[in-house]
Formats: sequence, C-alpha cells, structure tokens
Amino acid sequence: MLLRRVFQFFVIYFLFILGLMALKYSLNLSDYVIPAPSGIFQTLVVEYRQYSIATINTMTVAIIGQILSVIMAFVIGITGRQSTWLGSFIKVAAYNIQAYPIVALAPILFILLGDGFLTRLLIAAMICYFPVLLSVLGIMSKPIDDIEHFYRVTNRMRWQLEVKIRTFENLTQLTTVVAGSATLAVAGTIVAEFIAANAGIGYNIRIALYQSDLSKILIALFLIGITVAVYQALLELLGTAIKRAWTGR
Amino acid sequence: MTHKAKSLTLPACILLAMVLLVTTSVEGKEKVTYRLKWLRNVSVIGALYAETHHLFEKAGLDVEVKAGGPERDAIREIEMGYADFGVASADQVLRARAKGSPVVVIAQLFQVNPLQWMYRPEEMQIDNLADLKGKIIGITFGGNDETIMRTSLAKAGLSKSDVTLFSVRYDYTPFYRRQVQLWPVYRNAQGPIIAAHLDKAQEKTSFFNPAEFGVKFVSNSVVTKSQTLEENPELVKRFLTALLTGWQQALSLENQEEAIKILLQYETNTPHSILEEQLKITRELIHPTTNLAIGMIDEPGWEQTERIMQAQKLLPMEGVDFKTLLQPVDGVNEIYR
Repeated sequence: MLLRRVFQFFVIYFLFILGLMALKYSLNLSDYVIPAPSGIFQTLVVEYRQYSIATINTMTVAIIGQILSVIMAFVIGITGRQSTWLGSFIKVAAYNIQAYPIVALAPILFILLGDGFLTRLLIAAMICYFPVLLSVLGIMSKPIDDIEHFYRVTNRMRWQLEVKIRTFENLTQLTTVVAGSATLAVAGTIVAEFIAANAGIGYNIRIALYQSDLSKILIALFLIGITVAVYQALLELLGTAIKRAWTGR
Repeated sequence: MTHKAKSLTLPACILLAMVLLVTTSVEGKEKVTYRLKWLRNVSVIGALYAETHHLFEKAGLDVEVKAGGPERDAIREIEMGYADFGVASADQVLRARAKGSPVVVIAQLFQVNPLQWMYRPEEMQIDNLADLKGKIIGITFGGNDETIMRTSLAKAGLSKSDVTLFSVRYDYTPFYRRQVQLWPVYRNAQGPIIAAHLDKAQEKTSFFNPAEFGVKFVSNSVVTKSQTLEENPELVKRFLTALLTGWQQALSLENQEEAIKILLQYETNTPHSILEEQLKITRELIHPTTNLAIGMIDEPGWEQTERIMQAQKLLPMEGVDFKTLLQPVDGVNEIYR
C-alpha cells in the first residue's frame, strides 16, 4: 500500500512537470516563467535540506492538529449523536463554522495568538476538525437496527455498547475519514504558514513567491506531496491493522 | 416580406448599428494591456490619470489598465502574452533577466525607493547606519526590504546578532505596541496613513531611508518585451509618452484636486488630507529634482541594485548586460524635467 501510494504520487508529479515542460518549450518561455529541469534539479540539491526540515516541521504541526481534532470530533460526535437539541445544535454549529473560509479567520487568530506554533496548530485542527466531526456525527447517529434491536428489547443497551456497534459496523468508513482528514490538516497548516507563520514549508513557499522562484515552489510541492502520500498510506495501514485486530479478518 | 421577417428587421438593424458603433470607436486604436504592480492607489496615479483623461486614446491606443497584486507578476504575463507592458520592481527584472527572460526596462517610475522604515524619533535618532545597532527591526523575510536592510547592516559593519529582526505582516499592531522599533512601509502610500494614526495618539514619526546612507535599490519600472520594442518602437513610444504625460499631469500641483478625485474612486474612506499628503510624497519620489526627468532610468542605481543582490547571493555573479536591459525610448524619458 505504501509503495503504491508513493508510486502514484510520482506518476502524478512527473506528469505535472511534463505538462509544464511541454508548455515551456512549445511557447519558448524563459527559465523565469517556467524553470528548466536542470534548474529544478539544482534547486533540489541546494534546498533539499532546508525544505525537508521545513516539511517535517509542517507535518509535525499537521499530525498533532489532526490527532487533536480527531479526538475532539469523536468525543463531540459521540456526545451529540442522539437526536437531542444538543446534537442538532452541534451539527448546525459545525456546518456554519465550516462555511467560513480559513483565510478570513486566520489573520484574526494570528493577531490574537501571535504567529507561532499554537496558531498553526489551531488552524490545522480547525480545518481538519469539522469535516471529521460531521462524518462521525453522521455515522454515530445512524442506528444499526439489525443488531441494536436485540439489545434494546432485552434492555441491555448501554451507550458504550451503542458506540461500539456503530464503530464496528462503519470501521472502513471511519478509517477513510481519518486518513482523508490528514490532507485537510496538512493543507490547513500550509495555509496558516503561508499567511503569517515564521516556520514550515508554507512559509518557505511564500518566500519563494516573493523571490519569483518557481523552482523552489516545485520542490516544496514535491516534498509536501510525497510526505502526505507516505503519511496517508501509514494511516491506511494502521486502519487495516486495527480492523484486523478487531474483526480477525 | 412576411410578418415574421418584418418583425426581425428592426432588431437586426439595431444590432448591426451597435456593432458598427463599437467597432468604429476602437477602430484605428491598438489594443494594449498594462499590468500594474499593485492595486489602484497613489503609487500608480500616473496610469490612472492617463486612463481617466483619455491620454492613451489620444495617442491612438486602447489601453486596458489592470490592477496588480501580490500574486501578479507583470514580467511573466508579458512573456506569456497576457500583457504588453507592465510594472515590475528592479529585483524582479534582474532575476528575470538572469534567467533569460526577454524583458526590457523602458522607464523608471520611482527615482527614490518608497520602501522605507518608520520609527518614533523619541526612541532613536538615525544619523548613520551604525545607529541601527541594538534595534528591533521589522522585515518581510524574502522581500525587498530584507535585502535592503541586510545591505544597510552589512554596510554599517553590523552582524545579525547586533539587531533583532522581526518578521513583518500586514498587521501593524507590533509597531503600534512598540514591540518593533522600525517598521517597513511604502513611504508614499502607507506612510501618511500610519503617521496620521499615530498622530492621533500624539506620537511623532520619522522615516529611515537607506538611500540617504548610500544604499540605493531601484524600485518600480515600466517593462515590456524586447521583441515589442524591436518590432513596434512606435507603439512603445506612444504608450510611454502617454503614460509619462499622465504622471506629469497627475503630479502637477494645479491638477492635484483632479488626481485626488481619481484616487477617491478607489480609496473612498481615505481622508482628503491624507491623499494630499500621499500625492506630495509621491511627487518627491517620482520627480525629486528638476535634474531628474520623470521616467528617467538611473543606470548607476541599477548597477548598485545588482551588486547588492549578488552580494546576498540572490543573483548569479555573471552580471546583467545593462545596455540591452535598460532601453530608454528616444527622447521620451527626457520630456518632463
């Protein structure tokens, strides 16, 4: 799974670069508009270390943000799963907050919290949290009647059991949601860094833009892409392992 | 003629008349796109004035003036064919040229770089560059201001540890709260606004201009493709003449109210007094003395800009050929002294 993911990313990335090169050479564009392959390679050699550290920095924030948001989403999702006033309030609030573009909220957060680690973490968690919450709410509020009916009529249903049944029955879906939210967390962190932070790969992309250096941006995209591909594959492997341990399949 | 055909005749005639009217109005005028460096504000008043007062039309041109922005790069657009002329900063031009872009400079708009640092005179006095020692200085990492400030510090023999560099954003709060002592601003555009804001709190402001201490870094210039200049010099001449006339008229004291009226269309909430101040400062930056004509290209300034960038490893050491890069248009850059 890991190798397949990485291979798929390589295919997509190099097709993209091929497209750029086709444009460059067919329109006879200078290296300023689209850098030559040798220029991209040189930039990779020069910037590899700094950009790799920056990408790891971004990924660290994204992973912590994702873990926090997944935990919160599960807690709130389980609490609000019943069709009570609280449940519907959480749903409406989540839909509403999700509708706000993070680029509009981010400057306010940066003014209030400064441009350090905490703001990046908060933005990563915010972007990742609401889609996960809505999925968890959706899954947890849908009864599995075939199984739950037995426990209800025998009066043995407890909330822990209810959550367990619904998680077990929707394990594949939940794993996909969690793995998918990794992309959101990474995107959130990069947006935050691009807007106002002092570290991370998003911050380096902004500097490269100031310097009109497309080679650096292409290298940054490569590193982001490959890291996300590896991380998502690891999450999927983890999901498969959990499923196997739980179901024995 | 059937009833149906009769009923279609009138609308068809109106449509034909409209098409003829539109085509006649642009007939004979060459279509040109001019990409600004930034949004429509005082820093591009010359182009706005030329646009509003039909100076381009009078020169036989149908010019579309497009606002710029942080994500816009006039040089790239010119090379891709999306724009014919544009405004770019000297560092952009030099970087592009070093990477083989066929861009040429036909006029230099700012004779003095508007990028300066604001500070409170009660906190410091800057008589020489060494006075920067120990200060907390705002810079945009990766931006022009970083290059200029690092050069100023190097010139004063100051190292990184002698000052504290603070990463600057769109938000001036750190400066207002005195967390940062020197804050980079565009002297003509943001300068008067922040100064007025601080004035309300009875705080005085001053500006640190590195050029006064020998650090000359060229700012915005008008650029085009070398091919355009070679194949259509007449078009370039007409465009530049109209543009520089726009600048000359916009900065003329007798047209001040007219220029402010234009600016008010884009900055509806900016008080008249601030716009007046912005225009006054812009005048000093574009046309500082009668020796320097509007649009004149300061070649020694360009050479110094290149040296500064090379020293900071932002450009390769093989120099740019300024003879082919800087292409003042026959007589045009000398008109408005």
